[in-house]
Amino acid sequence: MTTTPLNDVMAEGDPAQTSNVEQVPDVERPDRWWQVVWSSRKARIGIVIVAAYVLVAVFAPLVAPHDPLDSSFTPLAGASGENWLGTTTDGRDIASQLIYGSRISLLVGLFGGLLATMIALVIGMISGYAEGTIVDDILSFITNVALVIPTLPLIITLVAYSEVRGVWLIVGVIAITSWAGGARAKRAQIITLRNRDFVTAAKFSGEGTMRIVFREIMPNMSSLVAAAFVGSATGAIGAEAGLAVLGLGDSQSVSWGTMLYQANAQGAITQGLWLWVFVPGLVLAILMTGMAFINFGVDLLSNPHLREDA
Amino acid sequence: MSLLDVKNLSVRYEPKAHRPLDAVQDVSFSIEPGEFVGLIGESGSGKTTLGTALLRLLQRPGRISGGSITFDGTDITDLSEDELRDLRWRDISTVFQSSMNALNPVTRVEAQFRDVIEQHSNLRGHKVTERIKQLFDMVIIDHKFVSAFPHELSGGMRQRVNLALALALEPKFILLDEPTTGLDVVVQHSILENVRRLQAEQGFAVLFISHDIGTVLDLSDRILVMYAGRIVEEQPAGALLAQPLHPYSKGLLGSYGDPRAETVRITYVPGRPPDLSLPIVGCSFAPRCPERVARCAEVDPPIVPLGAGRAACIVAEAQQREGGSGEHGEPRRTFEGPQFVKTAEESTQALRGDVVLSVENVSKVFTRRRGLAVQRTEAVTDASFVLRKGEVTALVGQSGSGKSTLARMITGVDSPTSGRIVFHGPKGDQEVSGFRGRSLRDYRSDVQMVFQDPYSSINPAKRIGYILARPLANYHGLRGDALRERVKELLETVALTPSERFVNRYGYELSGGQRQRVVIAKALAVEPEIIVADEPISSLDVSIRAEILELLNDLVQSKDVGILYITHDLLSARMLADEVIVLNNGKVVEQGQTLKVIRDPSDAYTRKLIDAIPNPF
Repeated sequence: MTTTPLNDVMAEGDPAQTSNVEQVPDVERPDRWWQVVWSSRKARIGIVIVAAYVLVAVFAPLVAPHDPLDSSFTPLAGASGENWLGTTTDGRDIASQLIYGSRISLLVGLFGGLLATMIALVIGMISGYAEGTIVDDILSFITNVALVIPTLPLIITLVAYSEVRGVWLIVGVIAITSWAGGARAKRAQIITLRNRDFVTAAKFSGEGTMRIVFREIMPNMSSLVAAAFVGSATGAIGAEAGLAVLGLGDSQSVSWGTMLYQANAQGAITQGLWLWVFVPGLVLAILMTGMAFINFGVDLLSNPHLREDA
Repeated sequence: MSLLDVKNLSVRYEPKAHRPLDAVQDVSFSIEPGEFVGLIGESGSGKTTLGTALLRLLQRPGRISGGSITFDGTDITDLSEDELRDLRWRDISTVFQSSMNALNPVTRVEAQFRDVIEQHSNLRGHKVTERIKQLFDMVIIDHKFVSAFPHELSGGMRQRVNLALALALEPKFILLDEPTTGLDVVVQHSILENVRRLQAEQGFAVLFISHDIGTVLDLSDRILVMYAGRIVEEQPAGALLAQPLHPYSKGLLGSYGDPRAETVRITYVPGRPPDLSLPIVGCSFAPRCPERVARCAEVDPPIVPLGAGRAACIVAEAQQREGGSGEHGEPRRTFEGPQFVKTAEESTQALRGDVVLSVENVSKVFTRRRGLAVQRTEAVTDASFVLRKGEVTALVGQSGSGKSTLARMITGVDSPTSGRIVFHGPKGDQEVSGFRGRSLRDYRSDVQMVFQDPYSSINPAKRIGYILARPLANYHGLRGDALRERVKELLETVALTPSERFVNRYGYELSGGQRQRVVIAKALAVEPEIIVADEPISSLDVSIRAEILELLNDLVQSKDVGILYITHDLLSARMLADEVIVLNNGKVVEQGQTLKVIRDPSDAYTRKLIDAIPNPF
């Protein structure tokens, strides 16, 4: 066998130029994910909104004028320099409650979203990767059951019968009742990815199943995971507020949901205390809108075609 | 007057997030009525963009940024969509590259023809059916498929249906954009024969886009060679073959050889096309060109009349001007780049290595239950052959011949229904069947695979270093510095040097050839006894195939590994393989030394395969 690279001919040219030929070209690395997300105007608005909420929550003691549980103010005071948004029937400062309340909402959003996404990932990915086997049958069955059980009554029952009523209970309950849809989506996605050549190639490298699923395949669907997380977090924030409004929240802490519950219980609307009712609802709605906006940006990650229009 | 007249056409892509690039730059050519024109170039040269622009089908962010397209006396460059609609299909039609998907999957074939015919002609009712049957006759498809759904047709038939559909209204011009890519040689051959015959009968003009210079030379009257968005050479097919002007054309010609010849030499064009979004000084081909002179890096060569056509190369022009006696020397016919040579004598030294795997009377039957009936499909019937150390065995056959099933059994994914596959490994003889879990994993430290498509076999989310490190960590337990050293060594083995430049790259940053090198390096990582290479070059550009063949060939020599090379391409089998096994409908119809089989085939099917190789020489 003779292989002739014809060095003599190549030597004729400028050597520096010749060695350039096989080098790695100056390919632009694709945009980093944050650049893509930031390129969408909706996502930018969403990120600014959520960032503002996070700052307020983190620095609540500095931002808030008073202790939210301090009931030493004149009850039912109107908005003033002392009480920005007035006070409640039992003399607490609404503005301070609102500011401290963002902590609970964001905490529940973050951890409820994380936990739900994690459950969805593990169950969805494994069942999708094992599609057609008994493992998939069992996991799919569990997913389907979780999908068809009416969520709200289940949450209410779980919370109503539990001994403690802390934030973590709420987080846990929301997570285990809301993962199923996400698991379905992950399962569908991994089924399209698991027959790619690079998965077979990983098997030939001697990788184990867990490693293939979570180290090889999962990075290729990270945008979907991110979108699912933002979605679940939004849902968790809404669910927490909903539970609190129904009186199933943590009575020891202040959240927007408990504020609404109190307002409702004290007949705020009939008394014309609009600020007390509307402001917690409004901040909640703005936060959830902001998170939905972020998801527009995350969408661009998974579907590059959208980027041209963004 | 020409049928199609393209003047100074430029197409510009202006994506929001990236630099704009001119995919087609200042292209001028014309096509006469009834002429068959070929357009060749490697991927990324802008041929498909040019084709799309001619059909006025460009989509955002691409647009025609300059020049004009005149079709049959009408300037269609700025024609509105409504006016184009009359023209499209009646006068200009096309068969797309991805025509596997060009038929609507939920509509019967007949309805799709009826749509087109009724929209543009006065035929109605059973006259349309008559016309469809006539069209089916033209492309040699049985009438019973008129009422079939697209998924009921094979790939080749679908492509014929697309061709018939393109011909439905007797257009004056058809654009064929790689119409046979993805089909195997025999089917490709018969479809192109068909096109050529119909073109001769009906006298429509064709622009045939392809990267396969063999077929283009075989079919075309005149050939346009495209590189980096420009036409670099235009000559009649015969003249291009006899006296190519542009070095790039020589490179493309050199990548093609006759497998029957005593000594086959195929060249490759190292490197890859320039990034068109960056400014290019001088000739865009200069960095890859073996004939370049100092002035090439400064002067952007204009396309000038030369030889029997036109070319954009200052060296070729100077050679012509000086008549071969000046400082630029004689015009050369061949590409003076790296080449890969296989002589007849090397081929006769085959079949001497130790047997490393033997396939003994293996059959594989797939059964599928359909209601009460059980359907049996025999994928492989009574196949016997051996793989030897340090040699390459080519498994040749059409798609559906059972090649992949055999590969799956050899890699331990499937088990044979009857017969046995024995692996004569370092740990003694071992029957390959029914491997699961641990034992399958262990077997894979001896048998590795190189995949067909290097674009999908490298995890896009991982760096090259990680990809190569995994098999080493898993099978050899390497960690830390030893692991990093070995990864670099592997990269050097497959000539990805300097290795530091590659370890932290992602697959998508590399060219097709470089990616395939990474895949080969990964297969080598565990020092296997056998590598199964499943069409490792068929998705690469013709101009760089030889470099992968050369690499595989060197590895066989130096690593003493046995390669099972699965292909439908006899030229590459000749270049690489010592032994050829021809597979037809799951049966081994012929096997023997490569050159003997190719030169003197004893089986009718082998002859058919060999005849299907385009032969412009």
